[in-house]
Amino acid sequence: MNPAEIALHPFERPASLAELCRTLSTRAVRKEKTVLLAGGTDWIVERRLAPLESPDDLPLVLDVSRLPEMRAIHVAKEHAAIGAAATFLEIKSHPVLSRRVPVLTAMAREVGAVQIQARGTLGGNLATASPAADGAAALMALDADVVLASVTGERRVPLTQFFTGYRATRRAENEAIVRVEFALPRTGAHQMWRKVGTRAAQAISKVAFAAVVELEHGRGVRAGFGMASVAPVTASLPTVRALALAPNLASVSEQELEAATRRDITPIDDLRSTAAYRAHVAVALVKCFFRSLRTAIGS
Amino acid sequence: MKITFVLNGRSRTIDAPPLARLLDVLRGTLGLTGTKEGCGEGECGSCTVLLDGVPVNACLVAAGQCDGRTVLTVEGLENKDGLSDLQDAFVTEGGAQCGICTPGFLMAARALLAGNPQPGEGEIREGIAGNVCRCTGYQRIVESIRHAGKERASREPG
Repeated sequence: MNPAEIALHPFERPASLAELCRTLSTRAVRKEKTVLLAGGTDWIVERRLAPLESPDDLPLVLDVSRLPEMRAIHVAKEHAAIGAAATFLEIKSHPVLSRRVPVLTAMAREVGAVQIQARGTLGGNLATASPAADGAAALMALDADVVLASVTGERRVPLTQFFTGYRATRRAENEAIVRVEFALPRTGAHQMWRKVGTRAAQAISKVAFAAVVELEHGRGVRAGFGMASVAPVTASLPTVRALALAPNLASVSEQELEAATRRDITPIDDLRSTAAYRAHVAVALVKCFFRSLRTAIGS
Repeated sequence: MKITFVLNGRSRTIDAPPLARLLDVLRGTLGLTGTKEGCGEGECGSCTVLLDGVPVNACLVAAGQCDGRTVLTVEGLENKDGLSDLQDAFVTEGGAQCGICTPGFLMAARALLAGNPQPGEGEIREGIAGNVCRCTGYQRIVESIRHAGKERASREPG
């Protein structure tokens, strides 16, 4: 579709979350297509690549970019709730998040340049459900819950269960992703964000890696991982996670780490990289993070 | 849809499809052709404008989302005396060659300097990381922005 054709979509701006949910509910019953639009960094680009549709069949676009219920960032003592339509720029600039959750703010700083940070949102990342989404990888490492709202109320889905396949999620047609929530890592938790791509800004990752581990007396007591662009959905690296929580964390071998990483990913060749390179980078990133854990335990 | 926003300091109301790109509304409906289209998919930064003071790619912003907001384009940089100090710096330091990317760089630089009046080289490069230039090799652009920041600081009283 060219820009003039995209402009033909019907568009509404719901004034509240309740109004949004009512509209979604009505349209879902009638099997009418609806799109929730926040920053447009995925949707507008993808519509340009989409074939022309009949003007009668265009989805209704609901602008959620300014809904107060979806924009707020709340950080309490041990808990964070980030609105699905809060921008990466707002996340990056949040003083408590940058102190307590550097894995998230580092991601927000590298997800794209400032023009993309100013528009892109975590809700968009989760709804689009691209396995390359940086935001989903960071949230996976934080063991976040996705909060979905509909006319019947809210429900929570752990992010580890949210993606059901390539670009597919548990969100129902009558639901909106309103926010994500996670327990704040304790002060001093080991956090790592690394994005490997062709440009520091504006690149979609060849591989991105997020990790959060809390240590207590040389043992991992909280561990979460997220890896982008190595599987049909954001990878949570369960085998690697088990190693981080194992009693013998200090003596986990490089061979065990490599085997665990390779078991947890199914990378492919595509326009951005190759399966072999992605696996190589994935293993290197996991080993690098575990080295930092072993150093911390040893000292 | 009637869309009302403050454009370059002046309130404007236009009638446009809400999903028209802000880029097309600026260049077409409003005749402000200073904002350039490069890639049209949010990669190159040529169409950078400031939305409520923050740089965005006008090719990825729906016009309907600008209702009630403030938009600044390169046409809004000039003041009553002519070019702004930032634009002057691009002229004196050779920050523009073919010129297609220049409006986008100016807008990204304007936002950067508003939040960080004397950025270091790394900060400048991060601030313009979303803008692509195929002529200058970037060094002259970095120098232009640094020059503008220094000039402003030297004019500060005291």
